[in-house]
Amino acid sequence: MALLQVEDLSFRYPNGAQNALDHIDLQVERGEFMVLCGPSGCGKTTLLRLLKQELAPAGERSGQIFYEGAPQSRLHNAGAIGFVQQNPESQIVTDKVWHELAFGLENMGVPTEVIRRRVGEMASFFGIQGWFRQKTDTLSGGQKQLLNLAAVMVMQPNLLILDEPTVQLDPIAAADFISTLQKLNRELGLTILLAEHRLEEVLPIADRVLLMKNGSVQLCETPRKIGAALKANDPMLFALPCAVRLWRELGAADDCPLTVREGRDFLVRHDPKPAAAPPEAPYRHEEEATISLSNVWFRYEKELPDILRGSSLTVFRKEVFCILGGNGAGKTTLLHVIAGLDKAYRGKIKIGGKPLENYKGSALYRQNLAFLPQDPQTVFVKDTVRADLSEILEVMELPRFEREEKIKRIAEKLGITRLLDRHPYDLSGGEQQSCALAKVLLSEPKILLLDEPTKGLDAGAKRSLQKLLRELKTDGITVLLVTHDLEFAAETADRCGLFFDGEILSADPPQKFFAENSFYTTAANRIARGLWKNAVTCEQVLACCKASEML
Amino acid sequence: MKKNILAVCGIALILAILINGTQVQSVSEYYLTHIDDLTPESERVTISIRCDAIFPHYDELDPALRSEEFLPPDGVILPPTEYRLREGDTVFDILNRAVRQNHIQMEFQGAEESPFGSVYIKGIHYLYEFSCGPLSGWVYRVDGAFPHYGCSRYTLRDGQVIEWLYTCDLGQDAGAKWIGGREN
Amino acid sequence: MDRRSGKLKAFGSYHPTVLMIYFLSILLIAAFLSNPVLQTEALLGGILFCATLQRRGDGLRDLGFYLPLFLMVAVTNPIFSHNGVTPLFFLNGNPVTLEAVFYGIALAVTVIGVLLWCKCYSRIMTEDKFLYLFGRAAPKLSLTLSMALRFIPVFLRQSRRVSRAQKAMGLYAGKSIPDRVKNRLRVMTAMISWSLEHAMETSASMKARGYGNKGRTNFSLFRFRASDGALLAVLLLLLAVSAVGAAVGVTAFSYYPKVSVIPLSPDALTVYAAFGILSLLPSIIEGKEAVVWRFYRSRI
Repeated sequence: MALLQVEDLSFRYPNGAQNALDHIDLQVERGEFMVLCGPSGCGKTTLLRLLKQELAPAGERSGQIFYEGAPQSRLHNAGAIGFVQQNPESQIVTDKVWHELAFGLENMGVPTEVIRRRVGEMASFFGIQGWFRQKTDTLSGGQKQLLNLAAVMVMQPNLLILDEPTVQLDPIAAADFISTLQKLNRELGLTILLAEHRLEEVLPIADRVLLMKNGSVQLCETPRKIGAALKANDPMLFALPCAVRLWRELGAADDCPLTVREGRDFLVRHDPKPAAAPPEAPYRHEEEATISLSNVWFRYEKELPDILRGSSLTVFRKEVFCILGGNGAGKTTLLHVIAGLDKAYRGKIKIGGKPLENYKGSALYRQNLAFLPQDPQTVFVKDTVRADLSEILEVMELPRFEREEKIKRIAEKLGITRLLDRHPYDLSGGEQQSCALAKVLLSEPKILLLDEPTKGLDAGAKRSLQKLLRELKTDGITVLLVTHDLEFAAETADRCGLFFDGEILSADPPQKFFAENSFYTTAANRIARGLWKNAVTCEQVLACCKASEML
Repeated sequence: MKKNILAVCGIALILAILINGTQVQSVSEYYLTHIDDLTPESERVTISIRCDAIFPHYDELDPALRSEEFLPPDGVILPPTEYRLREGDTVFDILNRAVRQNHIQMEFQGAEESPFGSVYIKGIHYLYEFSCGPLSGWVYRVDGAFPHYGCSRYTLRDGQVIEWLYTCDLGQDAGAKWIGGREN
Repeated sequence: MDRRSGKLKAFGSYHPTVLMIYFLSILLIAAFLSNPVLQTEALLGGILFCATLQRRGDGLRDLGFYLPLFLMVAVTNPIFSHNGVTPLFFLNGNPVTLEAVFYGIALAVTVIGVLLWCKCYSRIMTEDKFLYLFGRAAPKLSLTLSMALRFIPVFLRQSRRVSRAQKAMGLYAGKSIPDRVKNRLRVMTAMISWSLEHAMETSASMKARGYGNKGRTNFSLFRFRASDGALLAVLLLLLAVSAVGAAVGVTAFSYYPKVSVIPLSPDALTVYAAFGILSLLPSIIEGKEAVVWRFYRSRI
């Protein structure tokens, strides 16, 4: 008997035009690790929430959900199915870590002595004992999400459902989180149903992958078969790990590789020729430097340590510059200082050739520099996207009849026309990102600063962002972005810089930048680096393979 | 924060001293009061101070005062005594003269601090308001009647008789008819 | 470990209920009794306990506050209170008496004793202990409070982020008053939407973990150990001796109109001893801990 069985489940939101879920059939076996993926808006969240009856959305539904062979409605123990949501911040209920761990058990009416033991056990398993007595507010994003997981696990669920839990986390915290899930699955035999778009880390440990599209199940296969099962030019292809894509494109007959190691073995078997190495792309830049920092120092308060320690940087016009670096290194602070939100106490910053301090009032932000913060929600203050967009034009003193026209044009450019009359908070992460970008672009900037623009984006949205950045570049806009996403940087940037210990250590074109790193580099480069050091993106490795066949 | 508290307290203290004035007298200076001699033709008034109303309420009396030193056995602190009346003398002036001459302890609140706009007698001979129950204190009577205003506003005439009485129930034991309020 | 929190260990680790009873009884006795022996004991206990709770430098800095305060209270009383059989001199026709001076000193001892004990209270009875005691009386309220304490910092951080994001778009970023008011209003409306959104996700997380079931229990990290019981018993015994003694009047003492003789009957001595131990109890416990530590360390 399957632990969870879904039979012909359809669901429609109260004023939805079509079914959010359409005739879903699904079986999750005991002890299985199932990964749910698909482009955003495909119904993943709706499905997961319906499986957890306490969170089931209101709407029209048909079909059946069985849990341990009995209809879902007969399940009265809220702890039996654990549920972890996307946002680490908003799931935490209480102010202390220990209290958060105990919260679920308190609700179940478990006596204090039992709670004490279970909480202690959970804290030890998750390595929480070091911050057990801390305030929840002092935790990092990764710790918060781990706490949310532990707070669910303490109720001893049989099934754990996670809805894109790593979206808000940086790559290192995300990898930690996923390896914790693996440990739960391997060591405790816990059944896990995980919606995730970071397939690189998840595919090697999953038992089955459920791919959804437009509210229905596209396929449900083991990870090794997923590569072959996808149709050509399916957008999900770009979400697959590099090894899988290589295997698929080269049309190999052997087992599909999933990890970097398997990918490298696969490549070696495929008779590669070192001579096929890609040529070093020449680096050219415009003469005009639009952003220049020299020896900039910054700290938040007198007693606190320096965040920027003599940072220097020059970004030229029409350039896309990516700043990479570890978490909490101060990359965001660097952007804040450039955007004039924080003031450096030493050093010179010039924007468009003019010292930053010479910009008075809002002059810096009019037709000059725009900054998109990490959380796109903070950009919106109105009830509809359209009102938010038109507000910025009003401030720019554009006549009313021109505003409509401008909004229309930018909406078409960013593909958000259908979202204009929605509430910004109702949009998905990727949609919010696009609308926020539209808003800052309406101020007609020459320089665009982006903080973690790929956070929470699925593969498709990442590709559209990449395309947009290239278009902006041809429009003459300089883009400076901070990211953790090495693949995105390798594919998008003209130059990349590593930010470490308060300064930018190296600034090189991506090929050179990643070729010289050995750990901090893309998966494609790690697969191919023994052969073609210069190949840093999946496309480049693929091109090399094809060139090898010609030789 | 702490410094501010100290500063505020300090300033309040200095202000209070300034407002009160700083006339300092030694003990002998204070009691060395010139008393006008009585002559047959001079105008005069009689004053007495009594606390015999305490005896029925003895169990309410502050234990520290339960000795003959503070509570005379007959309840008489000052037997009826005649003083020469000077021009414009009030009940308070006569009382002040009497206690100084007889070395009787007395504490009063000046007219400018008192809510009644008159001098308020807080205690005589260590017997204070509230020393014998919550309704206790000093009241005065002139010619057998209880005036409705403070003792420093009552200007005396020739031959009047002042009695200061300690009451334990707002003056009713002394025969006063008013209700509420603390007057003397 | 931080020296300060390390020092808190011994007395502060007792059960909040015991600690609360202790502080309440000490504060009540210290504030309302007027016997110079008891007042001095309360002050000494307060000074010693404070000293164990903080570094020496802090203690010296405190002296700069408490010493002037002491003088001020001691001087103020005789200026305003004129009772007493021993006049020293007369100020504006009112006597300044020796008794009033003594009373002023005793009052200063009480005031500073109570202040020191309050300081120790705030160091020992931390927020979580208070919430715990509070929570036993009103569980719903204490959960609400805990949630509020969680929400406030998140809210403030988000509203700071929103207003910075708005500033970086050049929207109403001017320094003029209408601009500022408008900006505040805009940020506030955005924060209302955000709060609703946040609250919905939080309530989903609560429901997912069974909130709303009947028979909710209240967990806390504090447990009532045998040592708590022992301390409580000792404490109640000492308290009973002191309180009954004081109520019966064995330690009766008055400053007005004449400073009375300090009672030294065997009963009074018993009360002094009981209250002395009571007020020194935390210092004794801390001191014992320190000695034990030194002993262990010397053996390592």
